[in-house]
Amino acid sequence: MDEKKAAILGEIPRLRRYARSLLRDRDSADDLVQDCLERALVRLDNWQTGESPRRWLFTIMHHLFIDQMRKVNRRGEAAMLPLEAGEAVAQPAEQLDGIASREIINALQAISPDRRAALVMVAIEGFSYAEAANMLGVPAGTLMSRIARGREELRGLLDDTARRRAIRIVEK
Amino acid sequence: MIRRDFSERDIHMALDGELPADERAAYDAWLDANPEMKARSARFTADREALRSAFAGVLDEPVPARLRKVVLGEAPVKTAVPRSRWWLAAAAAVLLATGGFGGYFAGMDGIGQEDPAEDRLAEQAIAAHVIYAAEKRHAVEVPASDKDHLQTWLSNRVGLKLVAPDLTANGFQLVGGRLLPAGDSKAAMLLYEDDKGERISLFVTAESVENAKGTYASAQDGPQAVYWLDKGYGCAVVGSLPREQLAVVAKNAYGQLLAGLAS
Repeated sequence: MDEKKAAILGEIPRLRRYARSLLRDRDSADDLVQDCLERALVRLDNWQTGESPRRWLFTIMHHLFIDQMRKVNRRGEAAMLPLEAGEAVAQPAEQLDGIASREIINALQAISPDRRAALVMVAIEGFSYAEAANMLGVPAGTLMSRIARGREELRGLLDDTARRRAIRIVEK
Repeated sequence: MIRRDFSERDIHMALDGELPADERAAYDAWLDANPEMKARSARFTADREALRSAFAGVLDEPVPARLRKVVLGEAPVKTAVPRSRWWLAAAAAVLLATGGFGGYFAGMDGIGQEDPAEDRLAEQAIAAHVIYAAEKRHAVEVPASDKDHLQTWLSNRVGLKLVAPDLTANGFQLVGGRLLPAGDSKAAMLLYEDDKGERISLFVTAESVENAKGTYASAQDGPQAVYWLDKGYGCAVVGSLPREQLAVVAKNAYGQLLAGLAS
């Protein structure tokens, strides 16, 4: 097996984690990773050996994700989705147990895709601002404001969930 | 020690390892002197830990064979299977996470602004919100303490049976309401406030002949309206909340308004 392919294989767990945080549903997330790997392999020459393919792969995957989210928005397909598709996604993903985890995953899904990606790249994947801004293709200032707003939004959503939970308990 | 003013921005930088090392001591001192900022920093740190642990397990999962095969060239790169539909799931997830109305945001962007009647309702509602939600003492004509009178009065003037929705589940309390002009007709405005002072308003008019729903924002950073029009009434929920949060509140408000109209 050649060196490049071995290096790419080694990045799959990280790519899957990033995809899962963007999409939540396990199969859909793996579909995104698959699209990313397919695209990467036909463009193998774009990656300079000698450096980790991580950032290159994350960049490819992020653009696939954002492009599709934009297309979905433009075509209005989200509004026309059959309920079944939504219900399938609603099933709690296995492995991701615990109320706290489920709540934060739900909240993360509810913030805008741009903010979600920025926050995840830095807070979960551990990239620096410079690296993340570069991969997302935005100025560092934009990245920072997305992270700040993303965190605020996440906090608000989590507080709402906690409040609703408290109210449900009171009503019982 | 470096002397400079710190702000909330530095909380994010410190958390993300982007604060220069020689500013760290001054930053820590600033945090200690600002309990509110310190609490915020602790909260963001806790949220980050929760995020990390929620996804930590993914790294330990075995890599699915289909992904290995793509890299190892054991499967044709361009397969005959239908294009993967992960993005549909992404859109569906947005719908779900926002209680079903996020989809309207996603879907109505750019196409929800073609119908003048919808625009008119949303613009009137936003204009009213901008003016009155900013008023401290004169935001409403009839306060929530006089809720029964408020509902009867507005119902009579607008010509709809209005029941002020209870939005406490979303953290919002009724402040009160007022009567407003809406084109040739009248509209009721109900104002709500959360414990942080964030305000949203409900704008209801009986003048409508069509069915439509969507979202509308008049300015880039201004408040947004989530609206519904049906035969005989139109309703908009306006606020500067994050879109998804506004959608959740709007859905709750709308459900109760409809139940009230029919009661």
